Order: sequence, then C-alpha cells, then structure tokens
Amino acid sequence: MKKAIKPKTQAEVNPQAKPETQNQIDLPIRHVVIATGVASVVTQLLTIREFLSHLNGNEFVIALILFNWLFVGGIGTLLARPFGRKGSVAGLCRLSTGLVLLAPMQLLAIRKFHDLLFVGGSSIGFYPTFGYTLVLTAPYALLIGFVLPYSLIVIRNHIPDYSGTRIYIFDNIGDITGGALFSFLLVYFATPFQAVLISHLPLIFVLYRLYAAAYKNRIAPVLGTILSLGILVGALSAELPSLSPAAGKLVHYQETPYGRIQLIRDREQYTLFQNGRPVFGSQNISAAEEIIHYPLSQAESVDHVLMISAENQMMQEARKYHPKSIDYLEIDPALTQVEFEFGLLKKFPEMHVIHMDGRQYLQKTDKRYDAIILNLPEPDNFQINRFFTDQFFGIARQQLTGGGVLSFSVKGYDSYISDTELQKVSSIYRTAGQVFSHVLLIPGSRIFFLCSDKPLITDIPKRLEHKDISTSYISGYYYGDVPLEKIERLNQQLLSDVPVNTDFSPHLVRILLDEWFSIFTASPAFFVMILGFINIFYFFCISREEFVLYTTGFFTMGAEILVIFAFQIFFGYIYLQLGLIITVFLAGLLPGAVYGEHMRRHGNQLLAVTELALIALMGLFLTGMILFSEHLPAYAFLLFGFGISFVCGCQFPIALHLQGSDKPAAVKMFSADLIGAAYGTLLTSILLIPYAGILWTATALIALKTISWITLNTKKSI
Amino acid sequence: MTLVSRRQFLQTSALTLAGSLLPGPAVCSLMENNQPSVRKDISGNIFKNDAPDQIWKWSRKADHAVSLPDQTVMCGICPHSCVLDKNDRSICRSRVNIDGTLYTLAYGNPCSVNIDPIEKKPLFHFKPESRALSIAATGCNFRCLNCQNWQISQVKPEDVRSYDLFPDQVVQTALAKKAASIAYTYSEPVTYFEYMKDTARLAKQKGISNLWISNGYINPEPLSALCKVIDAANVNLKSFDDAIYQKLNGGRLDPVLNTFKTLHEQNIHFEMTTLVVPGYVDDPKMIRQMCRWILDNLGPDHPLHFLRFFPQYKLDRLPPTPVSVLTEFRKIAMETGIRYVYVGNVPGHEGNHTYCHHCGKLLIERKGYYMPATHMIKDKCKFCGGSIPGIWI
Repeated sequence: MKKAIKPKTQAEVNPQAKPETQNQIDLPIRHVVIATGVASVVTQLLTIREFLSHLNGNEFVIALILFNWLFVGGIGTLLARPFGRKGSVAGLCRLSTGLVLLAPMQLLAIRKFHDLLFVGGSSIGFYPTFGYTLVLTAPYALLIGFVLPYSLIVIRNHIPDYSGTRIYIFDNIGDITGGALFSFLLVYFATPFQAVLISHLPLIFVLYRLYAAAYKNRIAPVLGTILSLGILVGALSAELPSLSPAAGKLVHYQETPYGRIQLIRDREQYTLFQNGRPVFGSQNISAAEEIIHYPLSQAESVDHVLMISAENQMMQEARKYHPKSIDYLEIDPALTQVEFEFGLLKKFPEMHVIHMDGRQYLQKTDKRYDAIILNLPEPDNFQINRFFTDQFFGIARQQLTGGGVLSFSVKGYDSYISDTELQKVSSIYRTAGQVFSHVLLIPGSRIFFLCSDKPLITDIPKRLEHKDISTSYISGYYYGDVPLEKIERLNQQLLSDVPVNTDFSPHLVRILLDEWFSIFTASPAFFVMILGFINIFYFFCISREEFVLYTTGFFTMGAEILVIFAFQIFFGYIYLQLGLIITVFLAGLLPGAVYGEHMRRHGNQLLAVTELALIALMGLFLTGMILFSEHLPAYAFLLFGFGISFVCGCQFPIALHLQGSDKPAAVKMFSADLIGAAYGTLLTSILLIPYAGILWTATALIALKTISWITLNTKKSI
Repeated sequence: MTLVSRRQFLQTSALTLAGSLLPGPAVCSLMENNQPSVRKDISGNIFKNDAPDQIWKWSRKADHAVSLPDQTVMCGICPHSCVLDKNDRSICRSRVNIDGTLYTLAYGNPCSVNIDPIEKKPLFHFKPESRALSIAATGCNFRCLNCQNWQISQVKPEDVRSYDLFPDQVVQTALAKKAASIAYTYSEPVTYFEYMKDTARLAKQKGISNLWISNGYINPEPLSALCKVIDAANVNLKSFDDAIYQKLNGGRLDPVLNTFKTLHEQNIHFEMTTLVVPGYVDDPKMIRQMCRWILDNLGPDHPLHFLRFFPQYKLDRLPPTPVSVLTEFRKIAMETGIRYVYVGNVPGHEGNHTYCHHCGKLLIERKGYYMPATHMIKDKCKFCGGSIPGIWI
C-alpha cells in the first residue's frame, strides 16, 4: 500500500536554532524518520484491519479508509510549511511522542466508539462510515503527514542545504521495513496492541537519543521513553476488554492473516465471528438444511462432496447421504482449529480437511465431486467475487460428475425482491447459465443457486421423502416459505439485459455496492460531486510537475490494486504473496529514489522518460493480461510492481529538483502525490474496475499517464 | 547537563503510571455495561419537499387528517402525528401534502401479493391450516434495524414494482385463490390504512376474514375504525423498554401497549409476537415485567410468540438468539400465567405445539406449518373438554 507520508518541504534556516553539530542532529533525526516509517505503516495496516472488523468489508469501505488516510495526510503535509516553520528538535520529540501515543488510542477509539456512536451489533451506511473513518484516523494521519516535512525543516534549520530526497529515502526505508515487518511477522504472531508496541519500539529507542539531543539532560529522555512505553504496555491490557461483544461472552480471540476470529458464547450457543460478522453457529439447523439438502437431494447418488467453508450441522446433514468422502476446504487453518476446539466441527472418518483457497484447489485437483457447495459471504469484494464468475463456474463444472451440482447462495428476500437484488440475481443467473445447462433459483432469506447439467427439481421435500431423509425445517416449512409460485415468479422476473460477471469485469461487485447503498437509503452522488469539485479546483491550482506527481500517485495506487486483483484471480487468495506484492510496491521506491537523485540533473527530459516508462509498463501488463492471463508466472506481477514503484520513486527527486527544492511550492508538489494516490485508490476500486473491468482500467491508467506526459511536454502550466 | 526539578519528575512519573494503568481499567469500565451509553433514537424524519407533483391513480384523500393553517396538515393515523407542510412526505413515506390536502399514495398498488399459511403470520389460534392472501403496499412508520422486509417497508410507493389491485379486486383474488382470509402484512399496514380498511370492509361482506399483522403503532381513533372490519391480529411487542423501542425500532412503547388494550377491549382475537434480540430483548427481568403487564391488562388467553432472532438487514453483527433463552422466556411467561406461549423460528421445539391449559395434554402438534396431530373437537380439548381460546373454524 502506498503510505500517506512523504517528506514534503524544504526549510528556512531558523536563526534561533541550537548550535548542535551536524551529526548530532542529522543522525538521530534520520533514525527517527526511519522508525516513524516503520511504525506508521504498521499502524496504517492495523487501522485498516481494525475498521474492517467493525464496518462493512466491501471495496468502497476499504478504499474510503485509504482515501481518508492519504487525503488527510496530504493536508498534514501542506500544513507543515505554515505551522512548522520554526521547527525545533524538541518540537519533533513532542510530535513523535504524540504519534506513539496516538497509535494505540486510535485502535482503541475504533473499537469503542462504534458501539458508543451507533447501535451495537449494527452495520452503518456510507456517510456514517465516511465520517467515522475520517474523524478517527484524522489526528494520526494529519500528524504523520505533518511530522516528516517537519523533520526536514528541523534538519534544515541546522543544515540548510540538506537534501529533501535523503529524507524521502529514509522514509522509504522505514516504510519498506514496516510493510515487511507487518506482512511477514506481526500479522502471524501479534495482536493489534502487541503489534503497535513492537513496531513502535524502534521509534521509542531513537526518540531517547533525540530527547537527549534536545534537552541535554539525562532525565528527560528517560521520562519520555518511560511515558511512551508505559502507554503502549498499558494498552496491552485493553486488548481483550475492548473486544467484548454486544451480546454473549468472548471465549476465543485470534488474529490471523485472513482477519479476526472471535468466538462468542451466549449460554449454550457458540457463534464464530470473522471480521466482526457471524459466520458459523452451533444452532443453525434451518440454514444447514437449506445449504446441504437443496443440492444433495438433486443427485441420484452422493459419493463425493466438496464443501468450501462449513460447520458441524452442515456436515451432519450431508452425512445423511452416506457419502464416501466430504472434503472440507477452509483457507484459514486457524478457523478450523477453533471450530474443532469448540465443537463447531467434529471429526468423522469421511471428512478430509484441506487448507487452501477454494478456487486454487479446484484448479489443481483431479477429483470429481457429486456436489460442490460454497458457503461464502456476499460477493461484495474482489476476493469473493472470484467465486461468482463465468471462469470459476467453468472450473467448478470440470470437477463435477455428470449429474453433479454446484450450489451457492446470496442474500435473499422475504416478500419482495428489490430492483438491485434482481440485478444481482439476474447477473449471477446469466453468468452461471453460460456454463451450466440448468440453473435453478430457490428464493428465501437466502437465494440458493443450483447449477447442473441435468434437470433440477424444485420439490425438495418430495425428493427428500423419496430418499428417506428426515429434516426439521425443510419438511415442515419449505412449502410455506418457498411455494412453487414464488420460485416461478422469481424465475419470470429475471432480467436478461444484465452483464455477465467475469474475472476481468466484476460487475457483481458494483451491483453489491448499489445494494449496500440502497439498504442504507444513501447515494454516493453528493460525495462524488464534492470530490469531483475539489479535484477540478485542484487541477486549476497546480503546476505541470504537480500534475505529473498527482497522476503518478493515482497511477501507482491504481496499478497496485490492479495487480492485487489480477493476482488473486490467477493464484488465489494467498496472504503471504499478497504481502509480497504490497512490499515490492514499496521496495521499488527506495532504489528509484536513489537513482532519481543520481540522475536529477537530466531534469525535464528524464521526467518525461519516466512518464513513458510508466506507460510502457502498464502496456506490458495489459498485453500480458490479454495474451497470457492465467499463464503469467507469479514473479511477473512482482516484477511489474517493483518496476512501477521504481519509476515512481525515481520521479520524486527529479520533480523536486525541477521545482527547486528550496521553494515553498515543493510542499504542494509532494502533496500532489498523496492526493493523486487518494483519488487513485478510490476511483480504481469503486469505479474503474467494477464498471470498466481490469483491461479498460489498465487502459484508463495509460490514458491518464499519456495526458500527464503530453502536459509535461507543453510549455504552459495547466 | 540540566536536571529536571522534583516537581517535573513527579508529574512525569504520575503521567507514566497513569499511562500504563489507565487503558485497561478504563476500557473494562466502559465494557461493564454492554449497552451503548449514548442514548439513540432512530425514528424517521419527515421528507421535506418530497411529494410528487401530482397525485396518481393509486391515491386518495387520507383518513384522519387534520387541516392546519397555511396549507399544513397533520396526519392522525399513527402516534408520529406528522405535521406536513405543502409538498412534504410523511415519515412512513406513503402520505403527502399536496396543496393542503393529505393524500395516501398507497391505495390499490400492493407490491407484494402471496398466499401464505396462516401459521406464518404467526396466528396459531385462528382458523388453523387455512390460507391467507397476503398483501402489502410500501411504507412503515418504524425503522427497525432488523427489518425482514426492508425492500418494501423503507421505500416510497413510487420506487417499487406494484400490482394494480384495488379493494374489490383483492377480494376477487382471495375468492379465486380460495383464501379464508386476507392478511395485511409484510410492511406496515397502518401506512396504507385506507386501502386496508376499504378492502377489509368488502372482504367481510364476502365472508372473508381480515388479518392485521402490525407493529401496533397506531392512534386510538383509526384503530377503533379498523376494529370494526378486522377479525384477528398479530401485533409485535418488540420489547418492554421504551429506550430499546427508540434505539432498535424508531418508535415508542406506550402507544403499542394502548393498541393491545384497545384490541382486547374490542374483543378482537389477537396474538403477540416478541423477537428476542440478543443484547437487547434478552433480559429475563424485562420479559417477566412484560408478561406481568400482559396478564394484568390483557388476561391470560392471548397467545404470545417468542421468535428467534437471526442477524439481518442492518442488525447483522449479532449472534442468533440461543434456543435456551427462548425456552426460558416461554417458561417465564407460562409461570406468570399466560396460557399459550410459543417459540418460533426453531424447528422441532416443544414450543411449536399447543398444549391444553386445563389438562396440559398436547392439543395440536405442529411440524412447521402443518399439523400432523390435532386433538380438538371444535374449540374444545378432546381429552378434558376444556375450552381453548381462539377461533378454530
């Protein structure tokens, strides 16, 4: 992820500055910048994960959190010049200590304020989400945006010709280290408050030295360090109490790379929550019967069943068919471990647990199944959407026996299906219909899709009776809840002019976003209008170089989201490799910046070349997608990410050089990158990919960079 | 080297100590009470200047409207008593002030028409195993976070696909479908009061029963008018706490209690439904109070249904209700003296069945919406001959 912080300004010499030697100032500040980079990246990633455990996890929300962070960070950067002019080492000490204190407070606030401000156990709509994420991240994001240019100001108060690029490089070192620390270590072994403590230890340590430089006494550094450590260590004791649920008691809590697992016990009932949402329960008989018997009752014989995500009741229902094997697929090993430990899943001889991405497994296995049953959340994000595309249905069909059934469900309705829901259902129906000869929809509080190449039967109770399988819910309620008339009506209402949901064009994500807005009777129109207005106004205020950096910020974030999206499609949701992608998108910045610093004398000419390099790289990505798609090796994505970030990193020193690093406009120029990144995150996630698809998004990014390149080669400022 | 003063040292030490100790206890203290400390009311608002330019085919002048100065009108149907300026729309979204006259926009345009088993309403003591033609137009005066029918309750009449079904046509449809009753259900029928009342009047003439499935948030005057045409009702008693009513539903408790009293006084057969929402409506003490109130004010004979909650709509971050909570609440209600207490949304639970309050024997065994075994002779227990409250044929 692009970080919201960049060194943003050049300083003016402060005549009141203390007469420390250059090394006494340069080295501790340099270390503070690196340590701040480490701590802030970890804090940013923790903040996103924390929000996702309390808010809807759709693409809009993720993009909104990042947008707020980047945008407010950009404002913090802009504020460094008017408010940080008289920067001092002592001031930097205080600001950095403030960051240390704010990090755990921010996490705590996210956990506590949700239930204080909103009704506990409820989801919130777009505008409350926007306000909530903005207000709670603003103090930290503003300060982090402010503190790095402030660091530069402080250094320049002592070393007037200090290069801004050096700070940028140190910041990148911190960012990369923070990204890697979180992705490869903390996410596996630490809870959020533990991660905050660990990631801030280097900062506390280097702050000790900075305090010593600022105050020239022994007590101040010790007290500053103890205060920071005290807060972070004290915050550890808030970890579990701050996660107490609105109903029941928390009996197990665990952070895994795939999110947060909470097991809540309310009397005899266990409910497993993943990222704040209930996914499995120990008493959900009706749901278990629907999920299992709708598809399995269709088959003449049930020998082999694949279940992607499940719980014990479902397994017990499936066992009524006496299958030879039930393969249970769960990507997160921690989830099954909790299920087994608390009796949400019980071992039996026919069950085989496989920890793997469902789609990846189906692509690799040779086994054929009589039924493949998906028990997944709504496809409102790119990761889940991969299980609702024509390509996935094709993969699943290949692993089904002749009369095999693929089954999955989405949120349904009681008495009336809304237009948006109808679009959703119709799109899935049309997509599945392109692969399977027969697709049957069974309406209810969830709408079940049964897909097969043999005719499907709607009279499930009769079928179960024929098979001598007893049920509690279906036998008593099916005819009343799902009368034939209701099934027929739904099938008659299906729309034909809806887009097919494909890997490269996830229309379903867009429809689900519409559904989310309709649930909360909200429209993003006002928000989009304001954003558009700010952007247009901003364009009128910026120079060519700023525009180039704006588009680079936009382009880089867009490219990163594209790569993550494409990578997931082809290689599955593999956390470790996703962490690697995020890291390479940061890793290229550092050598890029070093190279750019070295080559900055070539100025405008080199900037134009970097623009063309970005266009060429995206062109390669586009060509690769069209020609090779799933045959592209994983390292190609990593190389692409590294290349993009290398060129992006290269542009900063050059642009800084072109603007004149001692001019006040430099702050604005660096802010341009952050603002561009903010817009790039939002527009790529919620507009370009869902509406235009992956190929046209890549094309749009090329077009944007082409405009930027043309602008750079024109004489007048835009 | 500059040394800090003793005072500075003490201040910083105190801060450090506080910093170390505060977060845990502070959060623990906050978490002692799981209920949000900020009082919330999710009641809807009037939609300013949101009325259509002109009335449509499915409009008619609203009943119980009060004209006020300056072309302002007050809707008198429900306790919200919306005061609408010209071109305003009511909280329920179905009533508009056009040129100083209050119109309903939900008359003859149901968006949902189904045949349901009467047990689905739920009505267990009224014409069991009969079929009800269920209709709904859009609108609701509540904003329940767990609404099952938000697609029609939280939208305007203009925003849905609707049928063209005026009262006489509804009755014809019910006759054609051989429905014993017409249920006004799914959304909130109070918001299409005129349509419901006119349809019910025609249906009654044809011998078809009328079922009112409602949140009970209605003013006494329209309720009295309604009681003349309805035969049975199932009214939600969403909790017995006004604050929870405001927080989860956007309504108030007292008017609902008054509705129950009126229905009881008017001798309408009604049953009560309470959805047991974990963390909100699962306090045994509150349920005991509620049952006591029912017994004191309505008597022991009106059936009470405790329904299991499942996360849905906006209230989707809570676990389902543990079954033992429902079992316990049923026990509390029966110990209090309510004779017929049921458990819903739990297939196979003993609270699905009806037991004679005289002899305690199983009268009606239910499997979902069906009755594999019935031990009643007309309205009497086959075993002891005791009379069972309800309308059985």
